Amino acid sequence: MGTTVTLSQNEAAAEECLAAINSRFSGSGVVASVERHSNAKKYAFVRITTPAQHWQALAKWMRFDLGANYCSMITGTHFPEGPPERGWEVAYHFLRQPITNQIPNTQTVYVAEKLDGLLIPMEFEVLIPLENNDSPTVPTVQHIWGGADWNEKETWDLVGIKFEGHKNMHRVLNPHDSPEGFHPLQKQHKIRYHEHNEMYDDAQGFGRKTTDEGRVK
Amino acid sequence: MAQMWITMGPQHPMTHGLWTLRVKVDGETVVDTEAELGYIHRGVEKICESRNFTQVTPYCDRLCYVSAMTWANSYIYAAEDLLEAEVPERAEYIRLISAELQRLASHLMWLGAFGPDIGNLTLMTWCMRDREMFLDLLQELGGSRMHYNYPRIGGVKRDIPIGFADRMIAKVKLFEHRIDEYEMMLDESTIWLVRLQGVGYANAEEMVEAGVSGPNVRAAGVNYDVRWAHPYSVYDEVDWEPAVEKPTSVKGADCYDRYRVRMEEMRQSCRMVLDAIEKIPGGKNTNYANGDEMIFQKAPTRAPEGATGFSNYECTRGASQFYIQGGGEGRGKNPYRLSIRSPMFITIPFVAKTMIGYKVADIPAIMGSFDPCIGETDR
Repeated sequence: MGTTVTLSQNEAAAEECLAAINSRFSGSGVVASVERHSNAKKYAFVRITTPAQHWQALAKWMRFDLGANYCSMITGTHFPEGPPERGWEVAYHFLRQPITNQIPNTQTVYVAEKLDGLLIPMEFEVLIPLENNDSPTVPTVQHIWGGADWNEKETWDLVGIKFEGHKNMHRVLNPHDSPEGFHPLQKQHKIRYHEHNEMYDDAQGFGRKTTDEGRVK
Repeated sequence: MAQMWITMGPQHPMTHGLWTLRVKVDGETVVDTEAELGYIHRGVEKICESRNFTQVTPYCDRLCYVSAMTWANSYIYAAEDLLEAEVPERAEYIRLISAELQRLASHLMWLGAFGPDIGNLTLMTWCMRDREMFLDLLQELGGSRMHYNYPRIGGVKRDIPIGFADRMIAKVKLFEHRIDEYEMMLDESTIWLVRLQGVGYANAEEMVEAGVSGPNVRAAGVNYDVRWAHPYSVYDEVDWEPAVEKPTSVKGADCYDRYRVRMEEMRQSCRMVLDAIEKIPGGKNTNYANGDEMIFQKAPTRAPEGATGFSNYECTRGASQFYIQGGGEGRGKNPYRLSIRSPMFITIPFVAKTMIGYKVADIPAIMGSFDPCIGETDR
């Protein structure tokens, strides 16, 4: 029989993380709560909303004290019609994974139901709302999680969020000669109908006119 | 000796797809590398913003052409989180079976592609022969060989056909013997061992730090698996345990450990599906009509603004994740933003760096042992 982390373990760990965040960061604008997924087994996770200026301090503390050792994804979102304080949002997802190096010829076999404390796997969602302007900027966490490196590159490439202090930023999915300031997941770029000739004359589509706007998506 | 940059790819067989590895060599030794991705970037995330939640599923199938079922399932769990859908238990069992059959097919594709990298062409033909059995089973469910569009928000498209259970049990039991055959061929082959053992070390902590996940990390000796850490389907009810290796060096797992862990994972998948088909609610030889409440429960189609959905799923190559924001076009019928986390997008740059210090001839072995798939990497 497969053994999995139980709902009560998961809830206890989430509450523990919430209490730790609240005691360390209360009054600084960092807001945390325990939320529950509404799919599958309805497990709990910790959602943290933080202003950009506290992000690096919070990140270091999460990494080294809360055990969030795995940076799994970074999502940037553009809200052109959003309120002035939330024109962009960066969502980070972190996991706590009880993984350590092994002595040669040994292995660690966890029995999920017997885990406790910082060993219980946990999921963290960090939201950073950014002002509605042309240059959304957040501090980088590249030096805190190696896994954040390419995630930040991708978020800048596709969404145009600038990561202040990120070393070696470059295009990863778009062509290297894409025009400066071209970030396709910003909402002013619409998917548009392709003329047959357009596919040959301008394969990357940078020279397209706006005449087809709204035709076929 | 003078150092120079050489370019491997985008057409090199080592790439298992389309990407470029730029290698700085000093004689035969790799001293620096750079990965360059994006050759088949299709803009799936942007396309999904103008499709409704049901129409997104086929695009997620096409993210990875050897593991379509797991990617579609991964999306479905995120959409269910967003739309607050309930799923009947029989549907969860069917999803588990389909995902594990897909894992077998995907690992066979990996082994089949990895063999020729190492110099064993027989392996390719053997693996393709056995993969066909599982593609046939998946075709019975989804109707096509590779892109099934099978799971639905709130259930699955159709029930398992009559006779599927017997055919599946026969094929999986046959395949359990075939795994032994593979091991007889490979584990005693000097070429196989010499090319894999002691090559491509990566230890557990540096892999977690870099964002590597799944079998690649389990090869380094810790049995962390999304299927028990963030359980989603009915993995707590079926009989299995995560495959895990004992690395032989302080430097962590080598290519051989990564090969071993995937072989073990195939055994576990066999064990899981054989157990799940016996425990399936409603019986294994029943066929419920399409849309029956045993396999499908109607879900809302609109997601309000501000709602979000997230799924963390053990794909065949590691943790695949979806993050969806509701409130898009058509008053929330489309996702406002759909973000995909591909395990290989993070792993490939990491693997490129682990090659430093090895010989140029080791590059295909190291790269192949991490099981790259470029469809999901470039999205």
